[in-house]
Amino acid sequence: MARYGRLAALMRKELIQFLRARAMLALILYLYTVEIIMCTYAMSFDVRNLPTAFMDRARSAESRALVQDFGSSGYFKITHTAATDAEVAALLDRGEVLAAVVIPPEFSRQLAQGVPTSVQLLLDGSNANAASVAQGYAQRIVQNFALQRAPPPFMADQPAVELRPRVWYNSELDYRHFMVLSMMALAGMMVGMITAAAGIVREKESGTVEQLLVTPVSPGEMIAAKMLPPLLFCLLALFSSLLVAAVFGVPLRGSLALFMLFSAVFLLSGMGIGILLGVIADTLQQALLISFLVLFPVLFLSGTIVPLESMPPGLQYLAEASPLRHYMDAVLGLFLKGVGLDVLWPRLAAMLAIGAALLALSVWRFRRYLG
Amino acid sequence: MRSLIGIIVWKELREIRRDPITMAVAVVLPLLMLYLFGSALSLDVKDASFAVYDQDRSAASRALIERFPQSGYFKRTHDIRAEGEIAELLDRGRARLVLIIPPGFAQKLARGETAEVQALADGSYSTTAMVILGYAEAITQSYALEQMRERLAAQGRAAPLVPVQVESRVWFNASLASVNYIVPGLLGVILMAFPPLLTALAVVREKEAGSVQQIFVSPIRPYEFIAGKMIPYAVIAFFEMLMILAAGLWWFHIPFLGSFPLFLAATAIYVFCTVGIGLLISSVTRSQLVAMLLSLLATLMPSFLFSGFLFPIYTMPMMLQLYTYLFPARYFIEISRGIVMKDVGLAVLWPQLLALLLYTALVFVMTTRLFRKKVA
Repeated sequence: MARYGRLAALMRKELIQFLRARAMLALILYLYTVEIIMCTYAMSFDVRNLPTAFMDRARSAESRALVQDFGSSGYFKITHTAATDAEVAALLDRGEVLAAVVIPPEFSRQLAQGVPTSVQLLLDGSNANAASVAQGYAQRIVQNFALQRAPPPFMADQPAVELRPRVWYNSELDYRHFMVLSMMALAGMMVGMITAAAGIVREKESGTVEQLLVTPVSPGEMIAAKMLPPLLFCLLALFSSLLVAAVFGVPLRGSLALFMLFSAVFLLSGMGIGILLGVIADTLQQALLISFLVLFPVLFLSGTIVPLESMPPGLQYLAEASPLRHYMDAVLGLFLKGVGLDVLWPRLAAMLAIGAALLALSVWRFRRYLG
Repeated sequence: MRSLIGIIVWKELREIRRDPITMAVAVVLPLLMLYLFGSALSLDVKDASFAVYDQDRSAASRALIERFPQSGYFKRTHDIRAEGEIAELLDRGRARLVLIIPPGFAQKLARGETAEVQALADGSYSTTAMVILGYAEAITQSYALEQMRERLAAQGRAAPLVPVQVESRVWFNASLASVNYIVPGLLGVILMAFPPLLTALAVVREKEAGSVQQIFVSPIRPYEFIAGKMIPYAVIAFFEMLMILAAGLWWFHIPFLGSFPLFLAATAIYVFCTVGIGLLISSVTRSQLVAMLLSLLATLMPSFLFSGFLFPIYTMPMMLQLYTYLFPARYFIEISRGIVMKDVGLAVLWPQLLALLLYTALVFVMTTRLFRKKVA
């Protein structure tokens, strides 16, 4: 009985302290709403409206049609027309355009004569990923143009085999669906880590750990009390990001209750990392800097920026140790696929295992620190 | 006068030396980011798991299927025998792509009709899905072309010609290696991540402890205090820049094409700018936690998201494109990539340099004003 009373009192103290840190509360809400929106719009390797220069040396109906095809594709935006090579070079140098399409003078003549011809594409490679994406788009535009407009003898026979692609779970392949969900997961990771680490370190910095030490509170109880208020607040804040997801048109096909369960377990494991950092660090500054150091690889290994399947195998194995990677998979499954616990239980088990290991390690280190 | 600044610098250096963790993070994090972004930033997918539902079971269908693993992009993990298995495989993420070859595939091919095959992709990881479908389309197309060539040859006709070809040339980074653009971009992010944060904390720490009042009643003037706090972190930032550059040049072998003195000058301005932002943050905050959160939101995140470091700015909605002009990282990254990758000089980069200079001046004017108000 006394034990529960003690824990309750401790939790009340933590709750009051937590709610008093207005800046932290504001940050949590910010991360769960504004940041999700901004990242969803910003974090994309996809290429749209690429500023492009055109140099049309053929000046024919065909070349104008090709210019039109580029412009109306949505991938390229014709911002400049150039008359000379030097102009093209200057535009690329100054970064005013990131691509240039050059149509040679003999373009239409060769097409009409049935001789294969070519168009030149100059790309600014100073963002290599965007450049290679744009290269693919340009090839497709020119190919379509050729199929539609090329006069005989080019008119190809109908293709022997045709691939009919269909995408499940996200039929429009809307990148934002993926991004909203992964930013939601990342927000939980950041908030969980930072609040937990700050909570422990503040106690150490202000010397109140010693005071708690003389009370009958055990390290495990203290850690539990530290984790509960941010956990509850984050779960509440999650509803605001559900709203954001709804605005972006992301469907929740699975169960909301299950999503909350996964989120709670995930937040606990994220806080596990934070608690461990808080126990290791001596000052708030150290705790936060180390959390940056941990956050970046965790973000990277979640598959948010680059698909995990594109990474070297070593990094793929390493990713299994990150709770964010499991949560991401579960969130995508719950929202987009609408699957349930029968499919996702390994993710839950993995997060529970990671969380338990981290907390056990933290309690052990904390005991040693206090002892 | 100068000695007073020196005293504060010396005091700050002693505090930095007492905190090896901070310095370790300042060294390790840039190298870690360089490694991750430099070596693993590719959207290509290798060995994607794919399942086959071959309803035709003919030599032709097997020939098409064989091409998928041969390409190196796909790994055949499952053979589907019944329609119901498809959902199960995709739901569990066991296959990223399911290839369905309907009955009659070989017959249609033989008759010279268009034979259709279906590809189902798991769109939950949308980037992967897009890349994989691109591969699948290319593989099918090359198979189709071969079939057509055979068909035409059998009729005694010549192979079809490709009417228009795209000759593409990549400027400034012909090998399309991501590390070449990561290094000059990462400088903009890292110099914005650490120096302002550390500077802000150095001042706010004194505020929290109350020792800032003692400094203000001492003969030390506000600008001396500011300079003394700033110089150590500016120097650290400069060394960080040299370290990233050295790692880029000798570890990742990136080319450095432009003028090194111009690059150093631009970096020096940028470092002053970032450290100045740190001071500005410290003048409006009172607790370390708030200072940290504010620098996270005002420096690290925008310099990562809205600077063009990884994500192209022109793809963003107009409002966000305008928003990117608010942060100096954008200007610096344009300068740094311009010098390192494009070998352009002042003639091209002066607008960005001017923007950076004005920005820095503005930051310092605001900071000294705010500090003076505090003292008065």
